[in-house]
Amino acid sequence: MAKDRLAEVLERYEAVIGLEIHTEITATNTKMFCGCPVAFGGEPNTRVCPVCLGLPGALPVPNQAAIEWTVLAGLATDCDIALWSQFHRKQYFYPDMPKDYQISQYDLPFCSGGLLEVEVDGDGVAQRVDLGGGVAAVGPEAVADDGGYRTTIGITRIHLEEDTGKMVHVGGSEGRIAGATHSLVDFNRAGTPLMELVSEPDIRTPEEARRFAQKLRSIWLALGVSDCSMEEGSMRVDGNVSIRRRGESELGTKSEVKNMNSFKSLHDALAYEIVRQADLLDAGDRVVQETRHWDAGAKRTSALRSKEEAHDYRYFPEPDMVPFSFDPEWIDSLAERLPELPDARRARYMTELSLRKHDAGLLSADFAQACFFEEAVAIAGAARAKPVANWMLGDLAALLNAEGIELPESRVSPAMLAELVGLVEDGMISGKQAKEVFGDMAASGDAPGAIVEARGMRQVSDTEAIESVVRGVLEANPVEVASYRAGKTGLIGFFVGAVMREMRGQGNPKVINEVLTRMLSG
Amino acid sequence: MSTIDLSALTAREVRRGIASGDFSAREVAESAYARIEALDGEVHAFLQLTPELAFAAADRVDRARAAGEELPPLAGVPAGIKDNMNLIGTRTTCASRILGNYESVYDCTAVSRLLEAGALPIGKCNMDEFAFGSSTENSAYGPTRNPWDLERVPGGSSGGSAACVAAGMASISLGSDTGGSIRQPGALTGTVGLKPTYGRVSRYGVVAFGSSLDQIGPFGKTVDDVALALEAISGADVMDATSSVEPVDPYSEALGRGAQGLRVGIVSDMLAMEGCGEEIRRVVNSSAETFAALGAEVGEVELPSAQHGLAAYYIIGPAEASSNLARFDGIRYGRRVPDADDVLDLYMRSRAEGFGPETIRRIMLGTYALSAGYYDAYYGQAQKARTRIIQDFRAAFERFDVLLTPSTPEVAFRFGEKSDPYTMYLNDYYTIPVNLAGNCAVSVPSGLCTTAGMPMGLQIIGDYFAESTLLRAAAAFEEATHFEPVPPLVRALTGTEGGE
Repeated sequence: MAKDRLAEVLERYEAVIGLEIHTEITATNTKMFCGCPVAFGGEPNTRVCPVCLGLPGALPVPNQAAIEWTVLAGLATDCDIALWSQFHRKQYFYPDMPKDYQISQYDLPFCSGGLLEVEVDGDGVAQRVDLGGGVAAVGPEAVADDGGYRTTIGITRIHLEEDTGKMVHVGGSEGRIAGATHSLVDFNRAGTPLMELVSEPDIRTPEEARRFAQKLRSIWLALGVSDCSMEEGSMRVDGNVSIRRRGESELGTKSEVKNMNSFKSLHDALAYEIVRQADLLDAGDRVVQETRHWDAGAKRTSALRSKEEAHDYRYFPEPDMVPFSFDPEWIDSLAERLPELPDARRARYMTELSLRKHDAGLLSADFAQACFFEEAVAIAGAARAKPVANWMLGDLAALLNAEGIELPESRVSPAMLAELVGLVEDGMISGKQAKEVFGDMAASGDAPGAIVEARGMRQVSDTEAIESVVRGVLEANPVEVASYRAGKTGLIGFFVGAVMREMRGQGNPKVINEVLTRMLSG
Repeated sequence: MSTIDLSALTAREVRRGIASGDFSAREVAESAYARIEALDGEVHAFLQLTPELAFAAADRVDRARAAGEELPPLAGVPAGIKDNMNLIGTRTTCASRILGNYESVYDCTAVSRLLEAGALPIGKCNMDEFAFGSSTENSAYGPTRNPWDLERVPGGSSGGSAACVAAGMASISLGSDTGGSIRQPGALTGTVGLKPTYGRVSRYGVVAFGSSLDQIGPFGKTVDDVALALEAISGADVMDATSSVEPVDPYSEALGRGAQGLRVGIVSDMLAMEGCGEEIRRVVNSSAETFAALGAEVGEVELPSAQHGLAAYYIIGPAEASSNLARFDGIRYGRRVPDADDVLDLYMRSRAEGFGPETIRRIMLGTYALSAGYYDAYYGQAQKARTRIIQDFRAAFERFDVLLTPSTPEVAFRFGEKSDPYTMYLNDYYTIPVNLAGNCAVSVPSGLCTTAGMPMGLQIIGDYFAESTLLRAAAAFEEATHFEPVPPLVRALTGTEGGE
């Protein structure tokens, strides 16, 4: 789908988007209501017990740590923490649900009424046609310095529930149920603590949705509540989207989009859905309330089930557990456990380390990257934070991208990067040499100092040593010296080249230039 | 063949006999199975006998005694276990076709505690399917018959657990009580049946019916035996989040202190219930006189909201049951139709064929009561009634230590006599409010009814976690009445005399 088609649709229609984001709490060692370990994959049905298999007579016992993590997540997103809350049973039949009900929360979630501030810059700004290129009329604030804007998205609630098992359909295509001859169920995942965050329908563009989800992920990672792997399904984003003609206040009929397994999918699926709904309305048709499945390969959504098939979940209070009564002091003690969150981190990088906003934002958004950066800066010194950042966002990012790996999997450690920056900043090697060393250390895992040593590429910055070479070059080329002194200053390049050759490329060009200029004019 | 008459011995006496070498635990187990051999063809208290488990346990007791070790409190005491409690090495069918082949893969906490205390697991006891009923007529495997009159029901749902103690096939047994399922069969078979305070005994491993109402409890021939069993099975359990950390008193030590100074309240408005038999009502009044004669302060109290108990219970119980029974879907275990077209067909036919009519009725009731648009009118209202009932009990226990009602409005009825569900449900009129409030209560035999010759039961209700006071009152009453009922069937077999 062409980008300009979305822009054209958004000229005439306003999209109203709300997200439902499920995050598995992978920080706990054990499942939500039993002692089975929380992990990904593994031999099917090996991390199970009577409780998470829903055997007759088994009872759930709530995992205190998972509740604490949920409260922390709520505190990190400005939610109110309920002093009185409760689990409910959400009832429907499906083979991946051992009890045929899910222990979830209904009208008394742990967290509600939160806020998340999202910044949009770059290409995504254009999707907010009502802002006229980032200048806010109402609502979102313009961010003057880079043409972006800032908007606040409400968080309706964050509640805690148990994850289901996993169905494996055999005999159909791509593991889907259509055409399958039979299905298998793996309950390893069943009972994993799952946080569900529901946003207010405050999101207006696919880009805002993507930024919201990315921001949330960076907060969850900073908290350490989850590994937030969209690929492995520990973070799953569903979107509710409807459109209405600009100027109208009544909400349109929504569709719910599922199976968006990356931030790009989230953006593209919502964009597709907005255009699809606009096409329907333009043709005089109605949007049908239904759940739709995003196919990232075909780049389209298809109907999964309609509202008529929607369940009556028959929620009622979970009688196997007593309600929770939280002491405000306990909530305060959890608040003290909150780590530095991405926004605060970015501000600190800008004020204390003098990073540009863009770089500070990139480094602080990814928790693993921020940790790497801070470790490297701790070794290299705060004054060298900028070159550390440049290496990380430049060569290192390009390398990871090319190899398709994550930062922790790279051979490059914070200490190695700090050492490399030190070599350059101390004038031991040139920038050009540093790039070679970087490539070498990323491939071999050797320390940059050792590489420089082994290659004999140590840069000579010693003024006296350079002076003696320069003296020799000047003596060997009296004609050129005379010409230079007569005004042909362009000959400086000739002398630099000659000195460099003499020093087999290991002279510090900056120092050579200084010495040459001084001795030639002397 | 050994000749120990288990009807003539209490659980305490069985243990003492083993400890002093009068007989071995193995002989006790043999005696239990001999009695079962003689009578259970007619009574049908057991769905499954577990001699391997029982004799292994008996041999452990006998070895311990031979080694001079101190025997645990229920050493060698033969016990029946209701078939809704998990025990490895047994099927746990809940008397349902849907779990007909279900083998337990873990142990129910209360059962393993009973066995740790030395009890011998004789077998799994018959019941109404999933504990839905008051007669065991709803068992998918045929009813249990009342040892007092084989034409009559033993009560339910723990009818097998009651009957096996009444017939001397076991000294004690475990039942579960959601609306009277221990106390009502206790009353109908002349046994002592205790429903502990909600949270007193772990529910882990008992197949749930109404999670907020269910409680495991013991049957015995005497209050003392029931107290011994309660001590063994009570206490906090990390596997049950609703189990209480309230300390477990030495319940049996509280017995024998009499009723002097106890404040005993007759629940006068409940006693006036229309369907209550005249003789049963009289016995409650004479029981109050017995307490007064023992030095108790007797008065009257009303529980005005208790009349709504039945209606509230038949919303809340089925609502929870409809949810708890959802898991029996044919996917992971239990009965599954072999030729399902798709998953929906598999669910619907496995359940339709696996569940009996009363189970289906309760699931339908509960599903309806929780459905969108009906929740407030049914479940919401029922919870309000429940709160009122709790308040009534709280107020009553400010004035009294224990309350008295009949256990049932009438004695054991004949098979098929109660053909419509509502008249059957009325049998639990006196017991249900106690489950809704969560209090403890016990049914103690109060005499034989002169017309039918069948046992009657007095229900004594105690405050939360006041089992010591409750059992003390029950023991005082038991001692004062000297009523030790032995069914004619057993008398015919053993030649023992009933009564004093």
